[in-house]
Amino acid sequence: MAFGRKKTKQKTDASTAPVRKKNGRGGIDMPFLILVLCLLGFGLVMVCSASYVSAYYNHGDSFYFIKRQAIWAVAGIAAMFFFAFFDYRWFRKKVHLILIVAFILVIIVLIPHVGITVNGARRWLGAGPIRFQPSEVAKFAVIVFLASYISTNYGKMKKFREGLMPALAVLAAFVGLVAVETHFSGAILIFGVGVTMLFVGGTSIKTMLGFAGVGAGGIGIFVFFTDYATRRLEAWLHPEADPQSKGFQILQSLYAISSGGLLGLGLGQSRQKHLYIPEPQNDYIFSIVCEELGFIGALVVILLFALLIWRGFTIAFRAKDKFSSMLTVGIISHVALQTILNIGVVSQVFPSTGIGLPFFSYGGTALLVLMAEMGIVLSVSRNNALEGEGE
Amino acid sequence: MNGISKSMIRRSLFIMFFFVVIGLGGMIARLLFLQVFGGDEYAAKAIRQQTLDTEIAAKSGTIYDRNYVKLAESSPVQTVILSPADITDDEMRKEIASGLSEILEIDYDEVYKKTLKNSKYERIKRKVDVTTVEKVRKFIKESKVKGINFEEDTKRYYPYGSLASQIIGFRGSDNQGLFGIEKVYDKFLTGTNGKLITAKNAAGNELPIQYETYVEAQDGQDVVLTIDNNVQQYLSKHLEIARGDNKATSAAGIVMNVKTAEILAMCIKPDFDLNDPYTITDETLSEQLSKYTGEELKTKTSETQNSLWRNMLVSDTYEPGSTFKIITASMGLEEGLVTPESTGFNCGGSITVADTRIGCWKHEGHGAQTFREAIQNSCNPSFIRLGQMIGNKTFLKYVNAFGLRSKTGIDMLGEASGLFHTEENFNEVELATSSFGQTFKVTPIEMLTAACAVANGGDLMTPHVVKQITETDEDGNIKVVKNIAPTKVRQVISEETSRTMCDLLESVVKNGSGKNAYVKGYHVAGKTGTSEKIDSKNEEGEVDKYIASFIGFAPASDPQIAILIMINEPSAGEYFGGLIAAPVAGDVLSDVLPYLGIQPEYSEEELASIDVTVPNTLGMTSEKAIAALKDAGFDYRLIGGEGTIETQSPAGGSQIPQGGVVSLYTNGRTPSSDCTVPDLTDLTISSAKEALEEQGLNIKLTGNTNAGSIVFSQEPKAGSQLTGGSVVTVKLKSYSNVAD
Repeated sequence: MAFGRKKTKQKTDASTAPVRKKNGRGGIDMPFLILVLCLLGFGLVMVCSASYVSAYYNHGDSFYFIKRQAIWAVAGIAAMFFFAFFDYRWFRKKVHLILIVAFILVIIVLIPHVGITVNGARRWLGAGPIRFQPSEVAKFAVIVFLASYISTNYGKMKKFREGLMPALAVLAAFVGLVAVETHFSGAILIFGVGVTMLFVGGTSIKTMLGFAGVGAGGIGIFVFFTDYATRRLEAWLHPEADPQSKGFQILQSLYAISSGGLLGLGLGQSRQKHLYIPEPQNDYIFSIVCEELGFIGALVVILLFALLIWRGFTIAFRAKDKFSSMLTVGIISHVALQTILNIGVVSQVFPSTGIGLPFFSYGGTALLVLMAEMGIVLSVSRNNALEGEGE
Repeated sequence: MNGISKSMIRRSLFIMFFFVVIGLGGMIARLLFLQVFGGDEYAAKAIRQQTLDTEIAAKSGTIYDRNYVKLAESSPVQTVILSPADITDDEMRKEIASGLSEILEIDYDEVYKKTLKNSKYERIKRKVDVTTVEKVRKFIKESKVKGINFEEDTKRYYPYGSLASQIIGFRGSDNQGLFGIEKVYDKFLTGTNGKLITAKNAAGNELPIQYETYVEAQDGQDVVLTIDNNVQQYLSKHLEIARGDNKATSAAGIVMNVKTAEILAMCIKPDFDLNDPYTITDETLSEQLSKYTGEELKTKTSETQNSLWRNMLVSDTYEPGSTFKIITASMGLEEGLVTPESTGFNCGGSITVADTRIGCWKHEGHGAQTFREAIQNSCNPSFIRLGQMIGNKTFLKYVNAFGLRSKTGIDMLGEASGLFHTEENFNEVELATSSFGQTFKVTPIEMLTAACAVANGGDLMTPHVVKQITETDEDGNIKVVKNIAPTKVRQVISEETSRTMCDLLESVVKNGSGKNAYVKGYHVAGKTGTSEKIDSKNEEGEVDKYIASFIGFAPASDPQIAILIMINEPSAGEYFGGLIAAPVAGDVLSDVLPYLGIQPEYSEEELASIDVTVPNTLGMTSEKAIAALKDAGFDYRLIGGEGTIETQSPAGGSQIPQGGVVSLYTNGRTPSSDCTVPDLTDLTISSAKEALEEQGLNIKLTGNTNAGSIVFSQEPKAGSQLTGGSVVTVKLKSYSNVAD
């Protein structure tokens, strides 16, 4: 009901001059909020289903993961509402501070004994149960920086040296540093989000084609010079060649997806989660979705993401200023790219990178950051609904 | 100017469509392929890894003899399997290796090596019986080791060991039929294996019951043979003795129902133990093998095994020799060329055909004979004559009609077909030699089947060893699934010719070369044969290896049973069929005919010499005892004077000839071993009787008990000490005019 009402209101927003809301809360974009909560809820159900076997096996408690994820989800919702009512323009003012902090974090994670190594990649910081990846911060910092930069220098963006160069320098620094962590997925995401923002921010098409070349070349160098990437590429192309180790994960994922068929084995009925897929609640949770809920279930999840992207961009279109718009484009692009990459990885379209599925994959800090970002988008939507300076 | 530009919106729209249509749309397409239109291979692989298939071996069907005596049956056993991938620590590996090697009596290192493999299926030992499996289960429970599994299997058991081993055949380690009936009827005997499918997690542990699928094993059907276990045992017993007596490489025989061509017994000596078919138990053969070592021993052993498993009665050919005269004679009679009383069969010891001189076995010749005499004498020149009368074309027609150039179609493995001269090559000399059964080859089963046609009224039947296919229901009732009826191929000769042939062949046993096949009270008909093994010549280029054979049937007036006896390469001196094969046929028939309930018809002469049962006189007064013995036609010796009979020898119930002496002991007297058995070899019946009577012993006559026979073996041996009145069994045969 609330949804319908808001929708009509927003239609009027789009066609006529902004109408002042009674209060800030009323300005939140309800469809977007509902989509976020749907995805979050769906994600929690799947974490519960996917994790209870390995949780029981590894921790003696079937609900080990879901309990923690639920707590993080609650914190995430709180963070979302906090940021929904937080004036995101504060980030623009502090953009340099954010950049510096992110930069420092990305560097110190590389220092042995400071950064925590998981699965051969040193990319975590933290203490005790609280752990986070500096690349998450870097991603956010790049988004804020580019939104801010583009909104200030929009007119110059077509010019390479004056407009593009400084933005590129910052982007390249972060991509490079994260890549050095061997956080391949992080580097790709930052690069992808950055390029998307630069494209929307007015960079010439020619330059964009150049980026495509650089991106491809960068990936090529990466694959060529690091064992880590070569191995993953090999496992991606020929998983059957080494089904017991290198190709194990991707094969098990394909087994799960294919087992699901059209309608799936039923919620909770996955067989592949019985220790076949390692950590099924993490990066490969989507294959469990496919196995249990079938193609139909997977389609529903993908459509929810599509709607979220559509709604996110709608908010960006309606933004009152370039910063708000670009910030939203950055955040939504991040979610979109991460979703596409994750599903691509579990279905063997892309090589394995170690990217989680937003809202679904287990991981507290990542969820918290994501929900905060969703809060920022909501905040933008709220701002859109406020009376203010027109275009 | 801080508002968003149209270009930004355009570009955002482009990005949005890129993400949604290309990105997410592409993913949907990929998933559609994996989940809906393709991916079956992955799904199948998933099922394979997620499930634990435990094969449940189907029980192979039972093989029965014609009276449902079990000749082969299967019992459940288990295969012990290791899943080394589930074993993680070395301690456990060692524990498993030592535990299993001890219980299963296998090598420790071998098991340990298997525990190191990264697989889920390593076979440790097959065909482990129930008690040993229990021990393994107890070991698993007590030591809490992981990764040991079991698979159901079955093991074949043959209760009679070597009996009819070449006929029954045996199974391989995967329960597949390898030889004999086990192979030929494999598709009935072997059932369909079942499966227990359980879901398992990556650690190999079973998942909740809901995934379990059980496909029941379909047990095999049972096969009922035409073989009679008892007839088989009689045949086996007498062939074993004959092989030993004649130091023959092998002795073989078939007992067949004349009318239905059902095989009642089929035996080849030496044979092997079906429960242990790879071990050579025969002493002569293992002695021969002991000369070899290394590779050569291996080859020779395998050759010997193969020859032991081979059913030479069906798979190998031989020259039938004079037994073939049955066929030649039938041709002559059927074509109206001769009658039994036809004359003109003069034998001068040899005959010349197309410049080739062919001798008779009796070098001095048989002189003038009727056709009946010619067949009794097994006279070669006479049969060459007859062959010439029949002519090449007709002869060949009958050879074909009797099925000697084609397989009989018996339901046995690897049947061979006779090798007769082709039309182009069948000339004068070939006709001459073929008339008495040389220069061509047939299988023993072909020969006996043809002889059955001669005896049964002229019908060539298809011989067979399986009578029924049956199933046993849960209550143990046998249900017939399929009856195998006797099959007539064609009528070859008329009933009249058949009757005449029976008469002629009866006279061969009565007066001719077959007289040693005599069975008291039964009219046996038959023909002897001695064929040279022309393929094997000695250093001087002479044939010194023979097959002595006899084909016969009984009773001659209405033949029921046909028998073929072959003594292959006898080396104890005698090699004529009439001397060494015919007596075996007689021995077998004297056991088999009464067993099959065929009533004896004694001639008066036979009645006079028939064995009589000694009455039991224990506890009687001497007076009464003596009266009882006299009534039964026995003489007596009373030791200890009048009184109550305390001991008698021979004991009541014994069978001895009329007029035998029974010793009666009274007043505390007991028999002492004071009688020495004399050497009776080569004595006539009367001299043997006398020699024994002198010693106070009784005689029991076996074999050809007609006058003119002499003793060729005795039991107990000469020099043995016996108590007075004991029975000495002598075996008799005639040596006069039996040299073929």
